[in-house]
Amino acid sequence: MKQELHDLAERAIKIAKSAGADDCRVTIGGERFVEISYRDRKPENIKEASTKGLRVEIFVNKRFSSQSTSDLRPESLKTFIENAVASTSLLAEDPFRTLPDPKYYQGRGTIDLKQYDPDYEKVTPESRHSFVKAIEESCLARGGDKVISVTAGCYDSHSEQLLMTSNGFDGYEEASVFYGGAEMTAKDEGDRRPAEYSVAVALSRKALPRPEDIGADAAARALSLLGAKKVKTETLPIIIENRVVARFGSGFVQAMFGRSIQQKQSFLADKKGQKVASNVLTLVDDPFIPGALGSRTFDGEGIAAKKRVMIEAGVLNDFYVDWYYSRKLGWEPTTGSPSNLIIPPGKRSVKEIMKDLGRGIFITGFIGGNSNSTTGDTSIGITGQLFEKGEPVHPVSEMNIADNHLKIWQRLAEAANDPYAFSQQRFPSLVFTDVVVSGI
Amino acid sequence: MKHITRRSFIKTGATAAAATIAVPAILPRGWYAFAQAEAAGYFEREFGVSEAMCRRVLARALAKGGDFADLFFEHTISNFLILEDGKVNRAACDVALGVGIRTVKGDQVGYGFTQELNEKAMLAAASTAATIAAASSKNPAREFAPLKTKNYYPVKTLFSSVPLNDKLPVVQSVNDKCFALSPLVIKVNVVFHDQQKRILVVTSDGVKAEDLQPRSYIASTVVAEKNGRRERSGWNFGGRREFSYYTPALAEKLAKMSVDRTLILFDAIQPPAGEMPVVLGPGVTGVLLHEAIGHGMEADFNRKKISTYCTMIGKKVAEPFVSIIDDGTVPHLTGSINFDDEGTPGQKTVLVDKGILTGYLHDKISARFYGVKPTGNGRRQSYQHYVIPRMRNTYMLDGEAEPEDLIKAADKGIYVQDVANGQVKIGEGDFAFYVSQGRQVENGKLGAPIKDVNIMGNGPKMLSNIIMVANDFEFHEGGAGACGKDGQAAPVGFGQPSCLVKSMTVGGVKG
Repeated sequence: MKQELHDLAERAIKIAKSAGADDCRVTIGGERFVEISYRDRKPENIKEASTKGLRVEIFVNKRFSSQSTSDLRPESLKTFIENAVASTSLLAEDPFRTLPDPKYYQGRGTIDLKQYDPDYEKVTPESRHSFVKAIEESCLARGGDKVISVTAGCYDSHSEQLLMTSNGFDGYEEASVFYGGAEMTAKDEGDRRPAEYSVAVALSRKALPRPEDIGADAAARALSLLGAKKVKTETLPIIIENRVVARFGSGFVQAMFGRSIQQKQSFLADKKGQKVASNVLTLVDDPFIPGALGSRTFDGEGIAAKKRVMIEAGVLNDFYVDWYYSRKLGWEPTTGSPSNLIIPPGKRSVKEIMKDLGRGIFITGFIGGNSNSTTGDTSIGITGQLFEKGEPVHPVSEMNIADNHLKIWQRLAEAANDPYAFSQQRFPSLVFTDVVVSGI
Repeated sequence: MKHITRRSFIKTGATAAAATIAVPAILPRGWYAFAQAEAAGYFEREFGVSEAMCRRVLARALAKGGDFADLFFEHTISNFLILEDGKVNRAACDVALGVGIRTVKGDQVGYGFTQELNEKAMLAAASTAATIAAASSKNPAREFAPLKTKNYYPVKTLFSSVPLNDKLPVVQSVNDKCFALSPLVIKVNVVFHDQQKRILVVTSDGVKAEDLQPRSYIASTVVAEKNGRRERSGWNFGGRREFSYYTPALAEKLAKMSVDRTLILFDAIQPPAGEMPVVLGPGVTGVLLHEAIGHGMEADFNRKKISTYCTMIGKKVAEPFVSIIDDGTVPHLTGSINFDDEGTPGQKTVLVDKGILTGYLHDKISARFYGVKPTGNGRRQSYQHYVIPRMRNTYMLDGEAEPEDLIKAADKGIYVQDVANGQVKIGEGDFAFYVSQGRQVENGKLGAPIKDVNIMGNGPKMLSNIIMVANDFEFHEGGAGACGKDGQAAPVGFGQPSCLVKSMTVGGVKG
């Protein structure tokens, strides 16, 4: 299909240019996916389809717009792009809107990032069903008589993306994705029915855990929430579990974007070169990890990907600045979006760390909440386990933490040895001290 | 990335763009009577989708049996105009076109979709959907009768026929007014969004329903700076509105609210943490109902016994002055629908009647399971998604108390004026939402403004803890909110009178 996408992109650029565009950038994506879920030992949903979509970003007379469509019939596409060029001309002038200087396209990595599993085509309907059934069975078995409901599912897709610009960029990516997961709802006291999930996502089937492990993990997590209660408000150490660190950390990363900075919505805008976290925090953006979910050789604007140390031992080194905001800020562009984010893991397991902490909360989930990128203030609901001397006491619910990102990361005490594999954010569990945890 | 988890959440407020009581009546001439913008038969006219073709595709979807099948055609045009640094210098447009084909057998669903509205592609998608069943073929209805419903959002002028030059000054004026209101304002962003969604539902039991759903909003975000400190806030207005809704007076009101809400934050504090009485102000705080009870009453969660409410029908869950409604028939409100995405007419559904839990929110699958009529809550994000039970506009009816009596009775706690980012855990009933604007309550009076505080509670516990309801009901007139469930977004609305909750957990600083 690569050639088909290529021809379509060339046609779109030609239409835009003939309609009067000075420049344009075309992104075309195509995907074929299958999704299956089971409940009560029978298929609950089976879904399968192909999608295709085209986005054209138009630069005309220092004016800019972005247009996307799934209606790719030749005549409607032509009318769509022609209308887009005409209406773009009516917007206000913005001298900062141009395609990137082609020199930033240069130096693209040539390493094989292993984004496509050559065995993808061998996946059969039968193998999908048996994979999901195995997840469901192990979850039911591990959950035992506490099970109210188990839903297990899988998803896989083969996708292609092509990016082409009128000033010479041409890039193509092909990827496969496999997903397996389960959610279990458990019987608890009264009307409480705690539910938890387990998921695994990877670019190759082999990188997924055994289905039995996914199911058993979902059940163990649901069972661990039985008997949850809230405790009194107090200042405690917390451990944020690896798989939910990204949700908490996104409040920090959000302030690292060029747009946040230029629009004066970033608490990090004037902090470059300064200590914004404890020595424990190093944050690396690494696009070149083979088989990782966020790997790439170019970004959404065609800018060649580079490995960047964003934060080094607590010192803020770099920002996410795309071409447009780099021009507005008068800075060098880096990239507009993170690739794989790495926080180097520590040496000890969560269990070992717990033993040293005395009384604390192991946070396994967040609920609601917000983070203000302008001020850094954050407040969010938590679920997890109260522990004492390394042993779980009971699960907690209906509790909150509130802090400020400029303060709490200075109290990051340790990273555990468990980087999370099934996400673009490969974060280990993190330990923070002196956090106000509110309850009763 | 796909997630099969049932985490449900909602985003409201100005930066979310990245959730009248009337009984439906039958119009004598049905849908066609109000489709003034254009005649019916859009998909046949534009894409050659004929009844005969639909029947063949439905026959394919039922080739292996199944209880029923349906087709969901969609053509949606969405536009965004974006103002940044003083000028409307960015626009975005998206066109979505496709058809989703669903085969249902009991509680099992087979689903395929295609973006090409030709018979070959549709038959292929129907074959995928058909795989959920394994019996002998069934025939769809011979004829399709047009569904007749009332129209809760008649469209006189399509957004696509409003010239760009008419929209631009509205957006620009919000920016200019914000800057004129205070020298502390340093940045203003304004987004104007309009969407026209055309849908056609054709069911194997012989119903054909066609709709044009408008949706639009204008949202502004303001950043202000005072003594080196910065604060940000904003507001939005919208709904299933036409362009004529966006008057200069509305732009003025939007600018004033956005600036006022930002400037007050310079005086705001984070309140002490812990359990305390919470007074919810009128309007947007209806997000609380959405999370605390709405999601838990969606019938799929109850059919699977995974909602905390699944054993409570007919039981007392709140004081007699608490009645809660989910309603698709409120004129121009964001969550209103003339019919749902499987062809059930829009209607009003009572969740809590004078304190008693009365009924769930159903799609066709759950209605069959419970042996009741569907309630018109079968909704989907787009043709790429299958139907699940979803809320429409969820609100509490007015009480009799005076709003100031609630604050007096709370004595010491917080007053919540605006909320965002609600989320609920269906099985436990635990929910959270974020207070973006509010006040402390001290000695029965409103005190210092508060900000950046998350509140957590438990649905059934919170309902029984509502000890006063005031007489100041308001619908939230925002349009930028969307509710997320199972990876699908849906526009929803809210409304609420002020009410006093005896106790909830407030995540503030150590007091």
